[in-house]
Order: sequence, then C-alpha cells, then structure tokens
Amino acid sequence: MADPSLLHRDATARETDALTASNGTGPAFASAESSRFAQTSLPLRQAPRRGAPPQIHDVTEKFTRACQALDVGQLVKDEYFTLFESIGAIEIMDPKMDSGFLQPGETLEDDFDPLAPLLPEELIGIMDQLLGYEMAWHTGYPLSQTLFTSVYIDRLLWPESKTIPQAQFYRGDIPVDKRPGTLLDVLRAYCLALIKGCDYVIAKIMARDYFEEEDFATHTYNRVLFVQAPIDVFLRELDASMEMIEDPDLEIDDGIRSAIIARLQFRKSFLCALDPECPLEILSDFWPPVLPYIDQVNNTHTLGKSVPGSFSTKIQRRLASTVPPRPIVQVEFKDALQTLKQLCTDCEEATRFKDLPTDPLEYQSFLWTFASRQPAPLTYSRSYLSNILFDPYILNAPVSLPLEDVKSFVFHESPILDPSNWALSPPRNPLMPKPPRLQFALLIDEFVERVGQPYLDLWVALGQNRCRLRRMLAHVIIAWDMLQQDAVFVDADLVAYAFQLNISEEVMDGPLQTWVYIKKLWMIEKVIILGFEQDIYLPDEHAGMYYFLSLMANKRKDALLRCVQHNNDRTVQFLRSSHFEDAQSTSEKLSFIDSEFQQATGISAFAKALHGFYTIANYLHLLPSPKRPFSTEDLRYELRMKPFLSLQPSEVPPFEEFQAALQPYGSYCDPSPSLYEDFKQVDSKLWSDIGASLKAAKDAFAKVKKYGAKESNAGGVEQAWNKETQGMLASCIALGVAVAGLKSAVKDIEPSSGVQVKVEIPPAGADKRYVEGWIVPKILKG
Amino acid sequence: MGDDTDAKGQDGDALQYVQYHGSKEETYLPAIRQLISKDLSEPYSIYVYRYFLYQWGDLCYMALDSASELIGVVVCKLEPHRSGPFRGYIAMLAVRESHRGQGIATKLVCMAIDAMVARDADEIALETEVTNKASLKLYERLGFLRSKRLHRYYLNGNAAFRLILYLKEGTALKRPLGMEPGQEGQMMGGPQKMEEYKGIARDAGVA
Repeated sequence: MADPSLLHRDATARETDALTASNGTGPAFASAESSRFAQTSLPLRQAPRRGAPPQIHDVTEKFTRACQALDVGQLVKDEYFTLFESIGAIEIMDPKMDSGFLQPGETLEDDFDPLAPLLPEELIGIMDQLLGYEMAWHTGYPLSQTLFTSVYIDRLLWPESKTIPQAQFYRGDIPVDKRPGTLLDVLRAYCLALIKGCDYVIAKIMARDYFEEEDFATHTYNRVLFVQAPIDVFLRELDASMEMIEDPDLEIDDGIRSAIIARLQFRKSFLCALDPECPLEILSDFWPPVLPYIDQVNNTHTLGKSVPGSFSTKIQRRLASTVPPRPIVQVEFKDALQTLKQLCTDCEEATRFKDLPTDPLEYQSFLWTFASRQPAPLTYSRSYLSNILFDPYILNAPVSLPLEDVKSFVFHESPILDPSNWALSPPRNPLMPKPPRLQFALLIDEFVERVGQPYLDLWVALGQNRCRLRRMLAHVIIAWDMLQQDAVFVDADLVAYAFQLNISEEVMDGPLQTWVYIKKLWMIEKVIILGFEQDIYLPDEHAGMYYFLSLMANKRKDALLRCVQHNNDRTVQFLRSSHFEDAQSTSEKLSFIDSEFQQATGISAFAKALHGFYTIANYLHLLPSPKRPFSTEDLRYELRMKPFLSLQPSEVPPFEEFQAALQPYGSYCDPSPSLYEDFKQVDSKLWSDIGASLKAAKDAFAKVKKYGAKESNAGGVEQAWNKETQGMLASCIALGVAVAGLKSAVKDIEPSSGVQVKVEIPPAGADKRYVEGWIVPKILKG
Repeated sequence: MGDDTDAKGQDGDALQYVQYHGSKEETYLPAIRQLISKDLSEPYSIYVYRYFLYQWGDLCYMALDSASELIGVVVCKLEPHRSGPFRGYIAMLAVRESHRGQGIATKLVCMAIDAMVARDADEIALETEVTNKASLKLYERLGFLRSKRLHRYYLNGNAAFRLILYLKEGTALKRPLGMEPGQEGQMMGGPQKMEEYKGIARDAGVA
C-alpha cells in the first residue's frame, strides 16, 4: 500500500490549490503553507522513520484470523482511508486494474525486434508518429501513453546508460552483422534529440507554476531523459546522421532522402530553440528557423509508412507506475503539426517580451494579451513567457516596477517621488524628528516592499491557463484588498508630511489606496468578464452579472476621474509657477490616465446597456429560465457574489438593491402594467436609458481608439489591442441592432400577448462574439 | 419533491425508488458497479464504492424495476468542506441507457438532495463535463449554478464545470470550525478523473 504520509501531503497540496493560488511563490501564499502544517496536528498516521532498514513481517496468518472475526459483507474502515486512497486502490486479477494480469495467451513483453532493418519509408513513418506523440504529450497526456510507448525510445532509455554512446537499441556487445544499419542509426539520433528536447521542456515547465495533470504531465516514470548530457552531443549525432543520409552511396530515393533530412533539420532547430541555457538577447533568433522545416515535414508526411509494432502499451508495465496499461493516445498528424506550429509561434511571440519598454503597464498588457491568445497557449509556451518575465534581467530592472505603475496613475512629477528625498540623511540625534521629505522616501520604500508580493501574484496569475486564471484572480483580489487597507495608513502619513511641508495641494488625496483600488477593481472586472467568456453564467443570469460588472467599472471610473483631476490640477500649478517643462510632461501623461478613464467608462456604460437589454429579455421570457425548485434568487445571488463578499470597501450591493435593479417592474412572471406602457413608448426611460448607455459606451471606446495602443501602454501588443478595441465598438453596434429588433417586436405588445422573436446567444469560443467576454445576443424573427 | 416513490417506466413497468443500506451490499453493489462503470473508460475499484456506501449509504438511492433489476443509482457524500460549509457531494449518477429521458435521474437526484437537506447540508457540489448537455440541464433545472470551469479535469482531457447549489443563507461566509480534515471529493459524474488515480498509483507498490 502507498506511503500514507506522502499521500496526505499530495492530497493537501491538491486541496489548497483550489483554495489558494500558487504553489508557494511567496508570502501571499503563506496561508496555504500554514494550513498544510496545521493539518499535521490532526491524528495522522506516523510517518515511517527514514534510515531504518525495512523489516518484513509475514502477516498472512494474523490477517486471515482477523478476517474470520468479520461477518460476510461487514466492513472495517479506519478514519485515514480517504477517497483519495480508495481511488488509488486496485483489485488484483481485475484485467483493467491489475497491470500484471495477462489474458489467456497474452505475453508480458512484445516480440518486436528494434534491430531489424528498416525501410526508408518506415523511418519517416516512425519519426512522424513520434512527433505526433510528442505533441500529444504537450497537450497534457502522460509520456506513458505517448512517447514512452515506443520500443525504440524504451531501448534507448532502459537500462539507463552511463554515456550517450552506450544508449543504443541494444546493450553491451553484439555480433557485427547484428549491428544496426544506417537508417537505424539515424532513427537513434532523432530519438536521442527528441528525448533531450523533452528533458528541456520539463525543466522549463517545472521552473514555473504549473499544475501537474491539469496543464501538463512531467512524470518520467523513473526514466532519466539524458539530464546530464549537454546539447552539443545531440547536435553532433544529428549532424552525423545528416551526413550519412546525404552520402550519395546510400541508395535511397531522393524525395525520401530530403524528407529524412528535413526531419533531422527540424529536430536540430527545435532542440536549439528549446535549450533553456539560451541567452535572453538571442531567444527570438531560434524560433523562425523551425517553421520552414515543419512545412517540409508536413509536405512529405505521405511518403512515410507506419510501423505499428514499434509502439506498444505493454512497455507501460515496466514503467515506475502502477497504473494499468492505458491505451495509446490517438493523434491525427495534421492536428499534431498544428499544435507544433502553434507552440513555435506562441514562443516566438513570447520572445517579444524582452523588447518591451521597461514599463510594468506594458508588461501587464502583454501578459493579458498573451493569455488571451486563441487557441490558448500550451503550458510550455506559458512557461516560456514566464521564464522571460522572471528573468533577473527583466525583474531586477533599475527602477521599481510596481512604483513605476503607481507613478503612472498618481505620482507623476510628484514631490513625493523627488529623487532628492532619498538623498536626505536622518538627523544625528535619533530623538529629533526626521525631515518630512525623508519620511516620504521611507514611506514609499516601505510601501514598495509591501506591494511586491501581491504585484507578482497578479503576474503569476496571468501566466496560468485560462480557467485557473479566473479562479486565481479571485484570490489575488483578496491579497490586493489587504494591501488597500495598508495603503490607507501610508496615505495618511504622506498627507500629514505634505501638510507639514505646506505642499498639500501637490499631493492627491489618498494616492496609494486609489492606485490599489483601481488595480483591484480591474481584476474584479476581469473575473466577471472571464466568467462570461467561460460560459459560467446562464442566460438568465446575464442581466445581473452585467449589472454588477457595470457597478465595478463605474467605481474604477470614479477613481480614475480623481487621477485625471489631480493631473489637471498639477498642470495648472506648474504653469502658475512657470515650470513649463513639468507642466508639459504632466499634461502628456494625461493621455494615459484619460485613456484608462475612457476604457472604464466604456465598460461600465456597455455593461449597463447589456444589463438593460437582458432585463427586458427576462421580462419577455425570451431566455431559458429554469424552475429551480431547490433554489431561491437570494441564495443564487449569495453564491455568485461569494468571491467579493469580504472586500473593503464593500462591493456587493444588498440583495434588495440588486433585485430592484434587476426587476424594476416587479417579478418577471407578474410585472406591473406600466412595463407594457413603457415597452410601447419609444422614448420611455426603459429604452432611453439603454440608448444613452450605448451612446456613452460608443463615445468612450472611440476615444480609447483615438488614443491608440501606445498611449494606453499597450504598444507592445498593438495589433491585438486594436482588434479588441474595434471589437468593443462592433459589440456596441451589434447591441444597438438587437435593441432595435426588440423594440419593434414589442411595439404593439399587450400583457396577454407574447412576442414573435427569439434571442440567440452566441456560443463561447466559436468566433461568434466580437470579444469573447461580451455576449451580445441577436434577435431573430420567431 | 421526492415524496412519491413510484414512477411508471416507458413500458409501463412501475419503478421503485429505494434507499441503499449496507446490508444490501451483496444484492446491489455488483449491479451498481456495473451500471456506473459502463460510462467510464476505467473502472473504479470496489473501495471507491465502499468508501461512499459505507459512510453515506443513506444518501444513495436506487431505481429498481419490478424484477428488482437496478435501473438507476445516485451515490453521494456529506461532510464539512475545508472552506467551512457542510457540503453534500453528488459523486455518481447513472441510469440504464434504455431508461433514459424519463426523469429517473432527476428523481434520484431530488431524493438525494431532500435527504441532504434533511441532514442540514449548507450546499451541494458536483462536477460534470462541459460537453455533457443532458447532465448540465438536469442539475441547472434544479437550481445548480456553474461556479468554476476546470481545465483538463477528466482522463479524456475534457474540461469540467463545478456546479454548486446553496441550500442555506450565509453559506458563502461559513468558515471552518478549527481545521476540518475535509477531503475534497473531486470525482466524476462522467468519465473518470485521473488526478487521484495516478497520483496514488505512483506510490502503491503493486506493479
């Protein structure tokens, strides 16, 4: 049976992963760590003591005797036998669970001879099949069901060889006439480089946050993937193979010859691109060369001939795993190449990160945009970008990245960040108060220190798969919520010292808390938008969730408005005191803040318009609305608001307020008669509110578009930024059309009559929405 | 809901809805296993069934035809969740293919929910494949909402939705009393989930 201490730890890690966010990246996750320790105070079985030699006792007789004390069907379960353990338990002699069980006539091992000569077509066939499995592994399947089913790979890896020359399809000495020929040697070189590539992939992924099984399976079943051998060894083997194939004495069809060379070239370029030692500056040189070889591989795939016998599930029996042999994953070669191409283009895109200006807002735009790429980047590509982001060269920038972020919103040309503040010395007499400007420096240093972890948490979250991003953001928000409480105190001190210096008007009210709040609200909005994107909300919930989104964006808008006003005030102050350069630079910064302000305005207004539309649709019973006998509106509201209930200031409106906003005419089943009056009146508040919101949204997004990506600190992802901004504008127009359709459908409506239209909700991920998180319905004639 | 215990099957055959009991293991467990593993790529060991049925047999309901053949079954558990609430969990639900579309699954789930309500549950959770429209519909009609999407949750690489039903006010704010050894039941409701299976098998010394 398994080692219980291991299992418990494993189980706990899995548990906490749903609750907290990451596997121990720092203080913000300390709670996860401590809960893990807290669990050890529970009555756990004692961990086996290390070092002592194992003692084996025969318990057969005892066990048999104990069993006789039980009635048939009577069960004994101790409190340590968990669900986790029950799922891991297997039944001996059940062919689906017991990996040692052989069906009548079945052999334990395969009889495939990996030293048997190959045809050139078969070489191509095997290489392509391996590539297919490699990509299946990249999409999340374990090695045991993919690459490790190859007899060739198995022979190279087991028994483990001390040196690469020893890693052959055979071990030890064999007669000369049995030695593998050229084509097998070429296959060996290909396999070696493939295995080394897997080693590099695992190294890169494990260097960052990833979630075993969910994202990627790093398990190698006790096989060592040539971890120690340097890359040159593999490149040399590939070069030598290419020479052998190019040798004119080798009798082989020219088309096949170049097809084999293309595969070796691919392997070489791909291995170089995967090399984790590759320096940051030249990363981007390595991906473009891979792509042409992928095309060549694709074009010559039909030349290959498969060798089904060279892959077997039986190898799984010898891997360090007790999972019964599982079927080999089936992959279409076409799909595998698509995955490979996507991997290469995503990684190439990731290398652009290093060319971004040293600006945390540009970084954030890049991370968000990368996470939003369709199809979703694979785990390797995400780790690849994370490794660039967390490269010391990027992270140890000469400026504090979080402080740069703060500065962009609230401290532009501020006396609080005056470099001379940091040059002041404390008074010799420690009883004397420190000069206020030095206090500014100390307070800011303290805040920067405090903000570091929550700031990194946000970046870590942006590197996760899309589902986890949504869940992890909900936790990051809590960390920022606590940060906001702390910022209030720092702000109070800053304002007090500014007062002492008589420069109160140069410092905005509550600058740090305003900044934290803006970031926090942005994350809350993203959690809701991701919910729409991931189809979390049912159609009859859309009105409520867009209502809540609108509230959040509106709060961000208000906070940003204060930044805009402060920026304006500062410009005027500089002009008055004839500091024209400062005035100029301050007013230039306004475009960024105003662009953010317009963005928030647009989101708030558009979400409000959608809230209005879906509310009407609910009254007209145009959306499926289940009966829900076990639930009530307020219980569902509580469930939806759960991630935000603890936030300060309070963000979740009381249920009554929410209900009043959602059901302005009373219940959907029995609305007040005024609803029908308002339906028919083209300029009733019902319609004019939606119209005004839509217009406000369009105006705001148009302004954002005019500012452009660069001013919005998204210059590094201009194309995607443009597409999204354009998508928001298009969504506004589409909603306008839907509203018009609804309006005309109800122009003669009576309480007793229905409407002759249908609402069509565009599905997620099918390219039917202008922007995935914004569900703009269509009105169809019923 | 769930007060009448008879329903007419398609062929007019009256179904009987019966609560499981440990004393019936020999009679029903083989049939339960067979019915549930039909939809799974890999079987659960008998210990998985016993894990639930031994501790929460009273939350398992079966639909039997007139010949006492098993037509449908629901298997659940109910215990304090680590985040605080007293959480019910619907672990398995299956109805014989020939009898689907008659509301048998809904009836079984309703009975399980009623039983969990009677035992003071705060909430009920489960997972189901994002592509399993019938299952989503069944639970959403009863009042469940989707709370999370879980990437590559199942063996076949498919994603899942976690569905939650709150039964009591204040559930969202519940915090654990001390530390509860709550073992999250992340299981199926569809094809078998791999994480636990693999995680444990790695260490179990039966090769």
